[in-house]
Amino acid sequence: MRVEVEDLRFSRGPFTLRGSGTFNAGVHLVSGPVGSGKSTLALLLAGLLRPGGGAIRRDGVSSALLLLQFPEHHVTSPTVAEEVRSWGLAPDDVLARANLSARANDDPFHLSRGELKRLTLACTFMRNPDLLMLDEPFSSLDCTAKRKVCRMIEERDAGITIIFSHERAVLPRVDALWEIEAGTLTPLGHVPDAIPRWRHAPPYLRYALDRGARPENIRLTDAREALCRTRG
Amino acid sequence: MQDPRLRLLSVAVLSLAAFASTTGAVAALAWWLIFTPRTKALPRPGVLLSLFVMIAATALVSAWGGGPGLSYLVRMTAVLLLAAWAYAETEEGEALAVAVWALGDRIGFEIGLIAEMGLSGLAVIGEEIDQMRIAMALKGIRPGVRSIVPLAVTLVVTQIQRSDDVARLLVVRGYTLGGRVCPRFRTGWRDVVAAFSAVTFSIFSSLALRDVFILLGRIF
Repeated sequence: MRVEVEDLRFSRGPFTLRGSGTFNAGVHLVSGPVGSGKSTLALLLAGLLRPGGGAIRRDGVSSALLLLQFPEHHVTSPTVAEEVRSWGLAPDDVLARANLSARANDDPFHLSRGELKRLTLACTFMRNPDLLMLDEPFSSLDCTAKRKVCRMIEERDAGITIIFSHERAVLPRVDALWEIEAGTLTPLGHVPDAIPRWRHAPPYLRYALDRGARPENIRLTDAREALCRTRG
Repeated sequence: MQDPRLRLLSVAVLSLAAFASTTGAVAALAWWLIFTPRTKALPRPGVLLSLFVMIAATALVSAWGGGPGLSYLVRMTAVLLLAAWAYAETEEGEALAVAVWALGDRIGFEIGLIAEMGLSGLAVIGEEIDQMRIAMALKGIRPGVRSIVPLAVTLVVTQIQRSDDVARLLVVRGYTLGGRVCPRFRTGWRDVVAAFSAVTFSIFSSLALRDVFILLGRIF
């Protein structure tokens, strides 16, 4: 199972997105500053935008799903329960997972943005597609909810998961790192070898690297463990 | 057309003429062909096509019941094309500038502000429909009659919420009534010719053909 990006080129106004690489099974983190092209790449990989040049090929992927950056953009139904049904899911399980069982009959727009994000995240994970793309899955969430999302990502035992995020505090364990800056997508390779090359590494990882530590992965706990090993 | 005052005048008189009679509609279509960039200044084909389909369906029902279906189709098509052109040409702030110029800093500002909010709301609705299409595609929902009602409800609810947010924002910023704007307009000779033609086309189309020739005979 893989997604191949070959000489991708997409232009909109003065902005142009370019890149090549292969997303194999596992968890991939595409990081980059705001406005660098992460959401555009997510829409291209999801097939919602057509590339101007090059190709995106899916091999062995039978289902794909994109979590949009803004959760309100997913809403197509007037109640929370119906919104869950619009994803083809049973409301009880999803609402329990999102901790929103008491809000089944409410208008989705009466939920806070964080609650709506939890709802859309629960729906996307319950659908469990082969290719799961998460555009800024940590935005609008508190630290507890961010950690829960990290666990959900890590517990996915099959398929390709691509996270598009500029989050620099709470991150899950990943298999590969990518960077995107000014519209150019660069594959950095597999973790942990790719970590020293990661220019957008969060401050705790940078701190560990600067002190000669070699974290096994990109989480705060990985940086701490690496520092402990270095100090003996 | 650079001057929004003359654009508004042209659209108003031609729309009235087009709505009043088929001759007026033909005159408005002729003016649209001569003085606008035609298809280059129209909204996206999907939006225009869906509006045209609604007009055509109403015209068909009217004709089926023995009413003036064809006349309705021609008249409303002319009004639709004029409205589409005016919407495409209108730039941000023009509605407020024209309203303040016409009615002053109090009532004019109020009406202009409402018009500006309405116009920006139309653009937002377009973006929201695009987002809903993406959401439906992601969920595997096929667009159809069954999906129209919940989508329309969602669209109306979000628009009401947006209006509420804007109203609260205006209150927070200390807005009460009216405001000061110094509108400036650029008027080219093409604007004057087009506006004069619009008024002439509208007046002549409202007269009987015999009266037009009598009037022209007296002028020349």
